[in-house]
Amino acid sequence: MDEITSVFVTESREQLAAMESALLELENSPDDADILGAIFRAAHTIKGGAGVIECNFLVAFTHVVESALDKLRNGEINANADLVALLLACSDHMGNLIGVLESGAEAPDAELQGEGDALLARLQRDWLNAGGADAATHPAAPAADAVLSSGGGVVETDCWHISLRFGPDVLRGGMDPLSFLRYLGSLGSIERLETIADAMPAADEMDPEACYLGFEISFASSADKAAIERVFDFVRDECTLHILPPRSKLADYMQLVMALPEDSMRLGEILVRIGALTQAELEEGLATQNAAALLPPDEDEDSALAAPPPQLGEILVEQKVVQPELVEAAVVKQKQVSDKKAAEARLIRIPADKLDRLIDLVGELVIAGASVNLLASRAGQADLTEATSIVSRLVESIRDSALQLRMVQIGETFNRFNRVVRDVSRELGKDIELVISGGETELDKSVVEKIGDPLMHLVRNAIDHGIEPPEVRAEHGKDPRGRLELNAFHDSGSIVIEIVDDGAGLNRDKITRKAVERGIIAAGQTLSDNEIYGLIFEAGFSTAEQVSNLSGRGVGMDVVKRNIQSLRGRVEVDSKVGEGTRFSIRLPLTLAIIDGFLVGAGEASYVVPLDMVVECMELQDQPRDRNYLNLRGEVLPFIRLRELFELPGARPKRENVVVVKAAGQKAGIVVDQLLGEFQTVIKPLGHLFRNLRGIGGSTILGSGEVALILDVQALAQLAARGEDHAHDTAHGR
Amino acid sequence: MGQVIAKNAASLALSAGNQGSQQYLTFTLNSEVFAIGILNIKEIIEYGALTEIPMMPEFIRGVINLRGAVVPVVDLSARFGGNQTTVARRTCIVIVEMTHVIEDSEVRQDIGIVVDSVNEVLEIPPAEIEPPPSFGARIRADFIQGMGKVAGKFVIILNIDRVLSVDEMAQLAAVGARSGSDGDDTAH
Repeated sequence: MDEITSVFVTESREQLAAMESALLELENSPDDADILGAIFRAAHTIKGGAGVIECNFLVAFTHVVESALDKLRNGEINANADLVALLLACSDHMGNLIGVLESGAEAPDAELQGEGDALLARLQRDWLNAGGADAATHPAAPAADAVLSSGGGVVETDCWHISLRFGPDVLRGGMDPLSFLRYLGSLGSIERLETIADAMPAADEMDPEACYLGFEISFASSADKAAIERVFDFVRDECTLHILPPRSKLADYMQLVMALPEDSMRLGEILVRIGALTQAELEEGLATQNAAALLPPDEDEDSALAAPPPQLGEILVEQKVVQPELVEAAVVKQKQVSDKKAAEARLIRIPADKLDRLIDLVGELVIAGASVNLLASRAGQADLTEATSIVSRLVESIRDSALQLRMVQIGETFNRFNRVVRDVSRELGKDIELVISGGETELDKSVVEKIGDPLMHLVRNAIDHGIEPPEVRAEHGKDPRGRLELNAFHDSGSIVIEIVDDGAGLNRDKITRKAVERGIIAAGQTLSDNEIYGLIFEAGFSTAEQVSNLSGRGVGMDVVKRNIQSLRGRVEVDSKVGEGTRFSIRLPLTLAIIDGFLVGAGEASYVVPLDMVVECMELQDQPRDRNYLNLRGEVLPFIRLRELFELPGARPKRENVVVVKAAGQKAGIVVDQLLGEFQTVIKPLGHLFRNLRGIGGSTILGSGEVALILDVQALAQLAARGEDHAHDTAHGR
Repeated sequence: MGQVIAKNAASLALSAGNQGSQQYLTFTLNSEVFAIGILNIKEIIEYGALTEIPMMPEFIRGVINLRGAVVPVVDLSARFGGNQTTVARRTCIVIVEMTHVIEDSEVRQDIGIVVDSVNEVLEIPPAEIEPPPSFGARIRADFIQGMGKVAGKFVIILNIDRVLSVDEMAQLAAVGARSGSDGDDTAH
């Protein structure tokens, strides 16, 4: 695949994504002109690009879609759910066609072609033909109003007339005039075509790199003027283009004849030859024209004729050759194109590994900076300390911006689910509203990439198993329209993603029964709610009574759990029968660098993620064998790091408590010393320590020593499990 | 640069494993001499500045900072089932580069091993290497690649891929951590 094609493929996929999301929006607000415009632009851009790389099967398909979109945009047909569904299917098909192009195949295989034809047939039958009759006359009507009538009737032809003069630089600019004609042919059929080679100089004066050609084309098409004009977008600045709609006034033709550089008699003949005018019409026209020429010439028209037409639109309006609204549309479009170019210029695509390398280096810089700070404060020179503090402030901002490079909003991932929810709920005959919040929550790119699949499973499950069919909902006195929420937010150093449905909730008895059936638990075993809900993540577990093609094959939930665990995250379920289910995915900060709070215990230093730290205090008057304290009237359980990690040496006289908050719960961590805030680079501990709980990673201190980063939540779980276990063993189990 | 060297080393190791004599680093551990192929070895550093990792079995001594990279350090003596090495003046950490496979992709990891002292680099021709004894060496047979004859004495040439198998050690670590806390619990 050559470079242009690969750029086209990438960009088209983006356009398709934009088109899809706009189509989904359209469903909710069918009359929004902005959305319609966006959809049309996306389709048009794809078609234009496909035309340039001569991917004909894509052009052919997209063209029909575009015509439908155009009608939609012009208000000739109105959007409804059926049309949106059909257009969504079309956008999928375009995606498939792009896939074909990407795979390097000449044309789509028969099956895909069949699919495309079926879609097009539906579009044609249901939407295009309905408004077809008035579309043909539509462009002509305003022209009749706008044109100053100077006599003459309407010319009897159903074809567009296109006068095209390519500028001399077209070939040098790398454009092939013929490819435009070929592309024009995809909009309709070129009935007659006359090549105008009048500008061609004698052979020895001719510059073989210059283009001297012009064409007079009689063109049958249901496309509108703007669409035809757009064919020539790429050579807009370098060619003279006149387009006359079918059944234009004779005067228009005459003006056209006058506007063109060639001799008017000869042009008139050509027009007759290509069937745009009849001989009688031509004679009538010329007669009128001559009569008009006797009058003092209109100045504007004069200058317009004299000057080469760089701004075609303006002149055309002056000449009343073109409807002002079409020019306006073209101008708006041009502006959009240039706006888009500007936006693209502000984006740079870079390979992810370059970014990773930069972040690694920034990480090293942070470590080195910390060590310089340490030395400077030891040296005790005021100006040195000041200089290093400036440096560290700068390093901090570099760190922040470097990290920002990797962060992407989760909204894009969430928005994909609009389509999923729509399609799946329709398939199942359910009516479900998707509510997204917190889409602006930023996540590390690598996490966003990996969280898509688990989310997909959970969303599908919620639609399939969670939310009941409308009848059942109505029976239970619920709104027949189901509600599915996707939320994302930051919570004490983690990112939480929630999938909430207002469906039937998890059925405890059913889960238990199934688990016994599958031999996951023993019959008669009593389990807590949380344990029961946890069973749905076991391999080979599915409570769906009927296996659908969406879910219910018993693969999924265990995969979901594994995927989330591989991101060092956790998934929790909370459910109320009849009210719904809430899945919370909690992902740790997997960023390269965090702000930490440094504490000491024994000989080692540990880092607590700073955003989890609530406060610090001295541990006072503590009974030796109870691990909780009174925090302003609250019971605060705590973990003694020394005990948990079995650190050697005696407890120091004074101990400190770091109060941390994790997953909505407060807990204390008892340490020997508090060493203060510390900016730190996370160094993963590697595969060897993959089963280690309670330690989230490591970091290198300014002194070169390695400090461990505490995973506070895992620590709390570890401590809880340890106590349960101790309790069990004490009772001889 | 480092990667290039490492790759060369790996391909050399492959060819050297089959024919020709290879160079070995010999070191002493509990007054016994062991050897490992030199191609896996990146460097030898003085023992120091080690951070212990809690809840890990004895043979994982901790981690060190090797020029910005955090490298785990394995206590070879404990790995062979003995006691932890006591740190003395000549105690060294030999940094070995290991390759292991995670989810179908090769991952390189440096691992340090604690030895009592490093002796020398020797060339042992294949003819001078005997197959490992089925028992009697007091370490797991699969840890031994062969018995090299050096100056009339046997030197145990270690199969470093087995000895420092990351997967196996990680599993042991998981089990060790669990049994360790169990033991602690029963003591209450």
